Amino acid sequence: MDWQRYWQGLEVPTPRTIYINDPLRNSFCPNWISTAKYSKWSFLPRYLYLQFSKAANAFFLFISILQQVPDMSPTGKYTTLLPLMVILIISGIKEILEDYKRHMADRLVNTKTTLVLRQSSWDRIMWQEVNVGDIIKALNGEFLPADMVLISSSEPQSMCYIATSNLDGETNLKIRQALPETAGMQTEQQLLNISGKIECEGPNRHFSCFTGTLHITDRSPVPIGPDQVLLRGTQLRNTQWIIGIVVYTGFESKLMQNAVKSLLKRSKVEKVTNVQILALLLLLLAMSLVSFVGSLFWDRANRAGMWYLSKEGGKSSSFGFDILVFIILYHNLIPISLLVTLEIVKFIQAQFINWDEDMHDEKSGLHAMARTSNLNEELGQVKYLFSDKTGTLTCNVMTFKKCTIAGIPYGQSSSCELDDPALLANIKNGHPTEEYIKEFFFLLCMCHTVFPERDGNNMIYHASSPDEAALVKGAKNLGFVFTMRTPHAVTIEALGEEYTFEVLNILEFSSDRKRMSVIVRTPAGQLRLYCKGADTVIYERLSKDSLFMAETLTHLEHFAMEGLRTLCVAYTDLAEEEYQHWLMDYKSASTVIQGRIQRLEACYDAIEKEFLLLGATAIEDLLQAHVPETISALLKASIKIWILTGDKQETAIHIAYSCKLISGHMPRILLNANSVQETHHMIHQNCQDLGDMLDKENDVALIIDGETLKYAMSFGVKTKFLNLALSCRAVLCCRLSPLQKAEIVEMVKKNVRAITLAIGDGANDVGMIQTAHVGVGISGNEGMQATNNSDYAIAQFSYLEKLLLVHGAWNYFRVTKCILYCFYKNVVLYIIGLWFTFVNGFSGQALFERWCFSLYNMFFTSLPPFTLGIFEQCCSQKNLLKHPQLYTISQKGKIFNTRVFWVECMNALGHSFILFWFPTKMLMHDMVLQHGFTTNYLFLGNFIYTYAVVTVCLKAGLEMMSWTKFSHLAIWGSIIIWLVFFTVYSYLWPTIPVAPEMSGQANMILTCPYFWLGFIIVPTTCLINDILWKVMRNTYKRSPLENVRQLESSKVKGFEFSSVLEKRMTATNLQMSLAAPQPHEFILRNNSVDLSAPHGYAFSQTESAVITQEELVHYYNTLVSERKGS
Amino acid sequence: MATNYDVKADVYSKPLCAPKGTANTRRPNNTAFKQQRLPAWKPILTASTMMPSFFIVGLIFIPIGIGILVTSNNIQETEIDYTGTEASSPCNKCLSPVVTPCICTINFTLKEAFKGNVYMYYGLSNFYQNHRHYVKSRDDSQLSGNTKALLNPSRECEPYRRNEDKPIAPCGAIANSVFNDTLELFWIANESDPTPIPIPLKKKGIVWWTDKNVKFRNPPGKGSLEERFNGTTKPPSWHKPVYMLDSEDDNNGFINEDFIVWMRTAALPTFRKLYRRIDRKNDSQPTLPAGQYYLNITYNYPVHSFHGRKRMVLSTISWMGGKNSFLGIAYITVGSISFLLGVAISSLYCLRALLSYISFSTWRPRMPLKRS
Repeated sequence: MDWQRYWQGLEVPTPRTIYINDPLRNSFCPNWISTAKYSKWSFLPRYLYLQFSKAANAFFLFISILQQVPDMSPTGKYTTLLPLMVILIISGIKEILEDYKRHMADRLVNTKTTLVLRQSSWDRIMWQEVNVGDIIKALNGEFLPADMVLISSSEPQSMCYIATSNLDGETNLKIRQALPETAGMQTEQQLLNISGKIECEGPNRHFSCFTGTLHITDRSPVPIGPDQVLLRGTQLRNTQWIIGIVVYTGFESKLMQNAVKSLLKRSKVEKVTNVQILALLLLLLAMSLVSFVGSLFWDRANRAGMWYLSKEGGKSSSFGFDILVFIILYHNLIPISLLVTLEIVKFIQAQFINWDEDMHDEKSGLHAMARTSNLNEELGQVKYLFSDKTGTLTCNVMTFKKCTIAGIPYGQSSSCELDDPALLANIKNGHPTEEYIKEFFFLLCMCHTVFPERDGNNMIYHASSPDEAALVKGAKNLGFVFTMRTPHAVTIEALGEEYTFEVLNILEFSSDRKRMSVIVRTPAGQLRLYCKGADTVIYERLSKDSLFMAETLTHLEHFAMEGLRTLCVAYTDLAEEEYQHWLMDYKSASTVIQGRIQRLEACYDAIEKEFLLLGATAIEDLLQAHVPETISALLKASIKIWILTGDKQETAIHIAYSCKLISGHMPRILLNANSVQETHHMIHQNCQDLGDMLDKENDVALIIDGETLKYAMSFGVKTKFLNLALSCRAVLCCRLSPLQKAEIVEMVKKNVRAITLAIGDGANDVGMIQTAHVGVGISGNEGMQATNNSDYAIAQFSYLEKLLLVHGAWNYFRVTKCILYCFYKNVVLYIIGLWFTFVNGFSGQALFERWCFSLYNMFFTSLPPFTLGIFEQCCSQKNLLKHPQLYTISQKGKIFNTRVFWVECMNALGHSFILFWFPTKMLMHDMVLQHGFTTNYLFLGNFIYTYAVVTVCLKAGLEMMSWTKFSHLAIWGSIIIWLVFFTVYSYLWPTIPVAPEMSGQANMILTCPYFWLGFIIVPTTCLINDILWKVMRNTYKRSPLENVRQLESSKVKGFEFSSVLEKRMTATNLQMSLAAPQPHEFILRNNSVDLSAPHGYAFSQTESAVITQEELVHYYNTLVSERKGS
Repeated sequence: MATNYDVKADVYSKPLCAPKGTANTRRPNNTAFKQQRLPAWKPILTASTMMPSFFIVGLIFIPIGIGILVTSNNIQETEIDYTGTEASSPCNKCLSPVVTPCICTINFTLKEAFKGNVYMYYGLSNFYQNHRHYVKSRDDSQLSGNTKALLNPSRECEPYRRNEDKPIAPCGAIANSVFNDTLELFWIANESDPTPIPIPLKKKGIVWWTDKNVKFRNPPGKGSLEERFNGTTKPPSWHKPVYMLDSEDDNNGFINEDFIVWMRTAALPTFRKLYRRIDRKNDSQPTLPAGQYYLNITYNYPVHSFHGRKRMVLSTISWMGGKNSFLGIAYITVGSISFLLGVAISSLYCLRALLSYISFSTWRPRMPLKRS
């Protein structure tokens, strides 16, 4: 598939012409997509290419070829080829299984259906059959199958609403409007009669760009812009149907163009492993060279007199030939089975993630999904977590939770929605503030741009801003129901009575104004202006007569501390002539050509004054389940969390508060600047303020917006910015474009030697998900974009805790132990060849029978690495979750690094030394058998081989922290498998023409008492050192892990040890915290630092859209749409 | 501090504005295996748990070692070097290739009688039977009586594969260099009667059963051995063809036991090979009484060119084979080390416990740890 993309990358997008109702003239790429790696035909060549581009496999292929040279191989011709083939077949099967899943997922997408105009009727066809030029009808709630130009829609002004969260992650609905020239084309006949063409630019990846021209025969051409384009992946909302003409399909759609080929991510452990393999290769070459030089000297000194050796020495003394013999002899030093073992192990680890019931979302029925298994152990090493906000930390569901009206707070923190009996009582019982309460809710029902829709007895509200919807819904629950909107009126049903307010003007929201107002005529005929907005802007405009200012402010602060988003609401009564005067002004302002927006805002400002405060609302941006707990656990695991969001700064800060990433007293550094100089200055200032504490973790939050970030990422400022950001405990980046998110991740990834993880749910997170070392997608909410580009998909943010702390930590231990062990066992057995070389005249004779030699990795020691890789548990999941500190062990990568690797190799060298010389000395005189029989070299070889298998298996047991039944099976089973194989193998010759030299070995060796005496002492001698090392470590240099393990094992029936554990952990943590630098008090002086308590303000609405909010509201008529609906 | 937070409990128990999950309804296929909750033994090797093991290993190994050492010391063994490189040696004359056949006699004394079965070995030094070019230079198919391989030996046998256009049987360097000294043993019963009594040496029963019956077979056929080997030639260094190695049919051709013993190539350049058996006569009389012996050597095998040495070894055999004190010493050493480690660990452990007790009682109260 990536070659297809490759081609597209080279292609300069040429403009295209699409002929309407003329399918034969449109030939473009099909709407069929594939994210799979192989097709049926490309599998074999591509698979082989991929496999042999791995250095290790290529090396073994090279060895296999070398072995075919006559007289070259000391170990037979096929002894490497066969294992290699087995390995390739096994990993081939795995590839097929994985690719099959991708094919199935693609098929699911490709076989979704949509309505297409074919032969004068609407046919339901599959997505993959959609072609460019097709006329498509999409119904409400459907996802669009391809990029198309909007022709007409069911709504007035041929508008339609689309949810683009799949593409850009923005959750508010977008409005698209068809050209007036096509708006009337709605019936099949009209559509079939269109003749003409669309000329437009070639496929590209820019979501917000589109230039095209619609030529309809006999009419003048009209330009088409992004407002007429509906993209694949968006969802139609609040619109009964739309009709569009397909312009880009399949891989050419903007969605797919943006899905850049995800690069193969390699884990840090894998990279280290590759380096070690290379190091081993060098060691192998060195060993070969030493042996070869040895053979030169030995031959020169001794060969002449050795009449018994065949005189073919002349032929084989060429440099290349002899050294290759040694390379073949020692080549198994590089573990042939390591890669395939790891692949299988990781595959099963990924299955464990998929199977995990703790990461199963009951609501959506989704399990966690490991989409790659390469990065399993990377999950255990995450240091930086980059999280999206909307849909990741939050559910993107707003709830009207609390309010303060006339200085009295309402709402309990425990309940889900505002539902305070006191409030209801106050309304009914004629409390002194009753009028205020009513006015408050009238305002909430009036001052918004929400559209109601009656669904039986229930009201459904459509809003471009979830905040507004929440307020209206909240008011409804308390008996103030917004029931109908007509172009110039709003009807509400308040406590059983119906009121109709005439809506005269809507003073629009913008992020500069931070407020919106409506001017209405009350049923009583009074002109009234209702306004809601941020506390700062409302308080500026309050009249002197306004009451409850101090109380409300206190309540606002309380709400804000709880992480609620607050809005102040106020009203003012207008005099008739004042309004008429203003209206004139307003009308002239709205027709100004230049600077209209500024004029309008000035005009709005003129009338928004002398407010009377009613109170304030508090909305909860509902967090996903257990986000604060998860974040606090992750922070304890010393993972640094950065929030990267496209949302507004205020919202981001609030979410950071409510998920406990920032605490109330934490100083916040706000970076909002308009130029490079200013940014540089601010960053510099803050760095200086931090002083010595720079580059250490401080209890400070850094908040930066996208605009400033652009400057901060520029050359020269970047390093300082990074230093500053890394010194802060929490970093919030707001208003970021998808690209900036990726840039930040890239910056940290490049400059900090730590593992990064990005988690997000929308298409706008795809960039960072792909950039980070590990990308996690939240599945279920906002389409599949993030999920499809992620490495791991989970249904809820809180599952990250288990994914990282349990699966990550376990997998890290498993993979690293498995790797170390694979290296160890190979070094142990194959270094023995080197020792033997010293006593056989540097001739390259192998000490073991050739198939035993090569089946070592395949059979006799293949099970222990699997058990290490699959069943190893450093400690129970319960304790890993209970003590997130344990995560730091894997995070710091202490188990596997170059030093550990070479220590293990030296240990293996020691073992191989003992394994060779002990049996050699035991068999010194070849007289260990009954009846005085003498032995041969293979007799010694089999002694050593058996002892090596036993030692290596027991060593696996020693490394194992958790023995399951499979561990027993693997360890004892491996030893037994070898002994059984050995016995059977010794009886094959000459019935089966293989291994003549093994003939009779088993019954001589297994009945030899010497063998069994050695069987006990040799592995013991090898491992006594390892045991001693472990004992010393576990007793005198204990890590927290060992403490936890100790306590875990000391769990006697029913004995409650958690208190003991707590005590111990307290002690450990104290030591830790004593060692860590105490947070110093430092003073952040400059004006970019905000030390105040957070202020709640949140309001998101479409700004500068195709249609203004006022127009929008005026177009809408509940009666009309209901008629249409019925 | 560590929270008592448990993901599982959380996900299912707190319905905070979240869907009320049906608590712990696990589907039947959610096995302990899939949920990674298999029961497991989690050993921790600490000083206190491992201390006994070190002592036990020590206490078991040392007696075993002593037992092996005693057994090994009870084995009687005597070794006679007859290379003849020293001028004083009776075999010195045989170094010259002119004297053929060369017979030399070495006399030696057994101070103690050898009881039970006695085995006679020849030993070679600096002979690289384990050299790669040597080890591979044989054809096991041919040796197992395969007619095809008999007439067309494996390429591995080069350059001892064919001679004068005839396939060599047995082919290869190993067979070509078969040991061909003849050793005879005589006992001088008493000083006064110089007539040496020849010791009966058994030449059969010196090879592994599988070698004689499975691995080495003469070519099949009804005719005489000579006929069956028809079309082959002897290895260049041999004086007589393979079918004339012995007069007895069950010790002739490929199944000649001296030949089979040689074909089992040794692991080290210094090695011994079983030559003859001297079976004990009865319980009352030692197999080899103490006294004077003659070793009669028909010296054919040249070793001085590669500075090798040749020896004749007489040895009794115990349950653990011949004399070798290595394993006994190894057991005693490893056992002692283990025991000493046990002592060291336990004393360190006690010391540490003592120290921590002292530091606890003196230092702990003054430490400002309370502020947590």
